[in-house]
Amino acid sequence: MYPGKLNQIIALFESLPDAEKRESLISYAAAAMKQGPRDGETFDLEDIRKDEECTDTVGVFLKVTPQRNCAFRITLGPQVQTLTKAMTAILCKGLDGLTPEEIMEVPADFVPKIVGAELVRQRSQTVYYILTRMKGVARVWLNRERSAVPHGG
Amino acid sequence: MSDKNYAHPEALVTTEWVEGHLADPHVRIVESNEDILLYDTGHIQGAVHIDWRSDLQDQTIRDYITPQQFSALCERNGISNDTTVIFYGDKSNWWACYALWVFRLFGHTKVKIMDGGRDKWVAEGRHLTRAVPHFAHGHYTPLETRCDAEIRAFYDQALAQSRAGMALIDVRSPAEFRGEVTHMPEYPQEGVLRGGHIPGAASVPWKMAVKDDSTFKGVNELRQIYEDEAGLQPGQDVVAYCRIGERSSHTWFVLTYLLGYKNVRNYDGSWTEWGNRVGAPIERG
Repeated sequence: MYPGKLNQIIALFESLPDAEKRESLISYAAAAMKQGPRDGETFDLEDIRKDEECTDTVGVFLKVTPQRNCAFRITLGPQVQTLTKAMTAILCKGLDGLTPEEIMEVPADFVPKIVGAELVRQRSQTVYYILTRMKGVARVWLNRERSAVPHGG
Repeated sequence: MSDKNYAHPEALVTTEWVEGHLADPHVRIVESNEDILLYDTGHIQGAVHIDWRSDLQDQTIRDYITPQQFSALCERNGISNDTTVIFYGDKSNWWACYALWVFRLFGHTKVKIMDGGRDKWVAEGRHLTRAVPHFAHGHYTPLETRCDAEIRAFYDQALAQSRAGMALIDVRSPAEFRGEVTHMPEYPQEGVLRGGHIPGAASVPWKMAVKDDSTFKGVNELRQIYEDEAGLQPGQDVVAYCRIGERSSHTWFVLTYLLGYKNVRNYDGSWTEWGNRVGAPIERG
């Protein structure tokens, strides 16, 4: 149902008691600041903006290999909430290597499995935001790919 | 303590004061945030975490916990009836003020806000810890009923306030007040069907009361904002509202403790109740 790496992360979180789940989220949140572009990296698409739906600026950087495998880098402004930071690191790891089409098909219903239903509630809906942004960039990449294909007469 | 000529300067403490009272057995420090995991990433030494939703609200009905549940919450956090509780948190102390207001619903009057909140503590480079404190259980005798009548307004009371032309303060952003948006900037839609404001309400966004470092403005500036510009008068009955009651708790704290208004109520049902209520009158623009 979910792509392999993401499925492993989901399975791990589902096996954890609540206290350890929170600890793991904190660890992932700390790792979020390491998800940004590294020196010398180039990207096919860069989408940096501040949306109404999120408390700070989020930058999404996408590189697609000739084999059509995606690699994401993400930058987060300092006001982004902890859960959103955690989801950023989880998604960068869990979606790494998927094709743009596979990215588009990832259902959002895995979020409560990782975060726990108690934490997904009013005022924490931005946990879905990062996935939406990643899909948005993948969609743009696919549209560009389609428009670049020569059309027959 | 504050020296800004507030009506109740004892209701505010500085970050320095808090740092000097970390081991005070008569004081309990409470962190209350919007960011649900922020406390877990690090907090003031000895601070306990009280969550606005899971700790203070009933988990089924849109209402607060019972006095007995409040008593149990306090006791497990080492809070007794005579404990002085210092609240601080993120978002310029929105949820700290909300938690303080809820403590007042249960008659706990020994309450204070750490001016500037979590952001100021962090900006000053003060120590944070991930160690969760464990205190001996407190001894808390609950009230028989909550003090809702004194500081809380319900829909019917807010409607009566509107119809009587009495003071209503809408503390949301100007665009929310005008009905141009049904969520606050930088937040997702939270389920409101209609935009606008309660007829007769004055728009005084909560943020007017704080400086860039999240500390409260001095009393002269506050009087200019709330009295000279918004038309409030000391002694008036005032009802404040926002979307779910946290930003209006902040304004309730300002009017009650910093300006000394005696009859301020927080309409915690706020716009998520009013904007969804069938037949509720709404003004736009």
